[in-house]
Amino acid sequence: MTEKRKPFLLDLLRIVTVIIVALLLGFLITVMVSEEPVAAFESLLTGPFPKISMGEAGLQLKGINRFGNWLEDSITLILVGLAVAVVFRAQQFSLGAEGQIYIGALAAGIVSLFISAPLAIHIGLALIAAALAGFIWGWVPGVLKAYVNADEIVSTLMLNVIAIQIYRLLLTQWLRNPDAGYIATEFFPETAVLPIIIPGTRVTIALILTVAAIIGTWFLMMRTPLGYELRVVGDNLKFAEYGGVNTKRTIALSMAISGALAGLAGAHLSMGLLKQLTLNISLGIGFEGIVVALLARNDPKAVPLAGLFYGYLRTGAQIMERSSDVTREVVLIIQAIIIILITAERMLPLLQEWWKKRRHSPDELIAEAQEAADVV
Amino acid sequence: MPPIVELKDIIKVYPNGVVANKHVNFSVEQGEIHALVGENGAGKSTLMKILYGLEQPTGGKIILNGAPVDIQNPHHAIDLGIGMVHQNFMLVPSFTIAQNIVLGREPRRGQFINTEESIRITEQLSREYGLTVDPTARIEATPVGMRQRVEILKTLYRGANLLILDEPTAVLTPQETDDLFEAVRRLVDQGKTVIFITHKLVEVKEISDRVTVMRHGEVTGDAIYTRDISEEDIAQLMVGRKVLFRIEKPEQQRGQAAATINNLGYISETGRPLLRDVSFNVYAGEILGIAGVEGNGQTELAELLSGLKPPTTGEAFIGGQSVLGHGPRRIRQAGVAHIPEDRLTNGVSLPSSIAENLVVDRYYRSPYTRQGVMYPRQIREQAKALMQEFDIRAASYDSPMGALSGGNMQKVIVAREFSSEPVLLIAAQPTRGIDIGASEFVRRQLVEKRNEGKAVLLISADLAEVMSLADRIAVMYKGRIAGIFENGPHLTEEELGLYMLGLKTQPPAELEKML
Repeated sequence: MTEKRKPFLLDLLRIVTVIIVALLLGFLITVMVSEEPVAAFESLLTGPFPKISMGEAGLQLKGINRFGNWLEDSITLILVGLAVAVVFRAQQFSLGAEGQIYIGALAAGIVSLFISAPLAIHIGLALIAAALAGFIWGWVPGVLKAYVNADEIVSTLMLNVIAIQIYRLLLTQWLRNPDAGYIATEFFPETAVLPIIIPGTRVTIALILTVAAIIGTWFLMMRTPLGYELRVVGDNLKFAEYGGVNTKRTIALSMAISGALAGLAGAHLSMGLLKQLTLNISLGIGFEGIVVALLARNDPKAVPLAGLFYGYLRTGAQIMERSSDVTREVVLIIQAIIIILITAERMLPLLQEWWKKRRHSPDELIAEAQEAADVV
Repeated sequence: MPPIVELKDIIKVYPNGVVANKHVNFSVEQGEIHALVGENGAGKSTLMKILYGLEQPTGGKIILNGAPVDIQNPHHAIDLGIGMVHQNFMLVPSFTIAQNIVLGREPRRGQFINTEESIRITEQLSREYGLTVDPTARIEATPVGMRQRVEILKTLYRGANLLILDEPTAVLTPQETDDLFEAVRRLVDQGKTVIFITHKLVEVKEISDRVTVMRHGEVTGDAIYTRDISEEDIAQLMVGRKVLFRIEKPEQQRGQAAATINNLGYISETGRPLLRDVSFNVYAGEILGIAGVEGNGQTELAELLSGLKPPTTGEAFIGGQSVLGHGPRRIRQAGVAHIPEDRLTNGVSLPSSIAENLVVDRYYRSPYTRQGVMYPRQIREQAKALMQEFDIRAASYDSPMGALSGGNMQKVIVAREFSSEPVLLIAAQPTRGIDIGASEFVRRQLVEKRNEGKAVLLISADLAEVMSLADRIAVMYKGRIAGIFENGPHLTEEELGLYMLGLKTQPPAELEKML
């Protein structure tokens, strides 16, 4: 057990150190561009958190909506992050989450608007429709990759275009509410809107759904034969083939399952946040999911942490932009620098080496290693 | 003679806790060929990586020409006159030989690379050291032996006085090995010093002046004059116990045909026929050895029979059931196990754990998966049991495969394939590139399976191995079976050699009888 815990602690140490370095660098840039850098940077760092204060009416919570923004954004990021983690783990570089979000939102929207059913059933049907649409939209490039060797990077990017344009075509030609002043459908009926669970925010039961998705994805990857196949295909395709794994089916399914998760993210955006379909529903969050998956090193267990962290950074950046003199562009640059530093792979071995050298003499290291070998 | 280089009290501990070198002392004299031997994982590669600046020692010092140095990286090593030829060549396949040799230090004409000068340099070096290469040939179009000569020339061009050759013969045919040895001797005549890493003892005796033996990260034989020590004694220093070079084989109990191969043919994607009309039976309780010069269809035969490729024509029956053309799982389910030739590509997954590597053929079955749910405990338990039974040395069942030595990796493969209770066991080059101890282990396991009544198909480029293990020997030449023979004292290497080179072919009627 001790063997397993050590690398985890080191990983944590690594991430904390890197975040501190990255934030310092971000602060340095803020100092250069801002009149009041401390206040500006504080809004980035603490913005998304609600402020608790003792007022005349007792305990008061301020900024709960900002806190809500953070969670809403994180839910999307976690779902898309899971989608990307699954497919990247199988070494398939699908970039199709964006299109799958649109298709998922579209399917959820159609079921919401054109079918009437009681609350729980209506929501359930819409969610299934979203996941199924995403599944198919991922399965198509998966089959193309597995059976006719179509490069998945190209095919998924093209399918993104197709998905987004189909969505817009249907929205403008058919689904649009002509009475609205902008291009959008009517608001979804009550029975198809995800119920809010944190008052004062737009945090809905999507939060619970996301927790289930995290557990489900972890279980799929670590506790089912399909998950084993996905991992082995990702680690060494030829080995998987040699061992008798149906690698073509595995590749296609990895992309399809990823699509289903991205489709659910689309449902969260439409049924939870917007409550209607609008022209631009995602604005590229499908690609932000790649950042989340990379931060989590494609490990489903780590995706929620990565998603919450990245969501926090994004929300904080928005607040910084709104409440200080730092422009949006600079905020995005700071955000990007932080991500670059955290994903720098070589950071860990360097730190490990340094940490070991500092603490031990060579002979102590030998003794320690031999002790460990004896335990085994 | 003063030592050209001395490694003193070297300690190396890797970040993952593996101790590769424990207080190692190693010194090489100017102008000698010094063999460094040891089993895989004995620490000899690590020691050389330290000398070449690829790894930093945890403790100890390096003294070069009498002065202590701190070798920070390979560039620095090259500047100090140390060159290393790696096992896996570091060449650009699409470049010509001359381009590869001058790469990074190109002769220039103004802003441009001077191609004629590169070729001239290559030719001159080639003549000077007697290492024949074709300067304008592209690397991808040249045979392995020539690629190795290019690697050596590359280090010479960079001014190396001390050459480290890391298992240089592992990839060579016997003929190429002879050429290499001649070249190495010439290098020494010209004043160079050579460190020769190997685990083949015949080569140690043949080429080296002195030999240093390592085991478990320590020096067990310290710069012994090679003429003063026997192969058996070196082997004992390497392994730590007496090594049996001969394997006892009890009288054969031959049973029914376990596998029947009928008119197997394979045409490559580029349209070349690589297998033609291959037919034979493998009987229960026998080892059928496939001998032949490499590249005569043996690789394809193994790939076809294990399902990695579909045959163009022909069929194979295992227990009366036709099994080809449906991929590896069908074949495995029919009872075929396969130790693949290309261990790192097919046989293992390096990032996955040992335990995961041990279930790739059975993860979907009970007890590993029940009602669609996998049970990691079962996978773990199996790994623990197999690691014990097959003496796999690793920190834990959870260690990544990539952390294992070549010999231990092969043991993992053998453990998985043998424990699947096969009817037919295909072993392709099962001892290639693994150390003495592990080779002995694998060979003994093959004989044991035969004694248990399994059918074993042994495909090996090592003729001595085939002759010491097989009950019958089939020789392949240009994708055909040139002959099948009962193994015994009457069968000589020379006789088989005639069939291997295509000088003799067994008459069809006789071949028919031997199927």
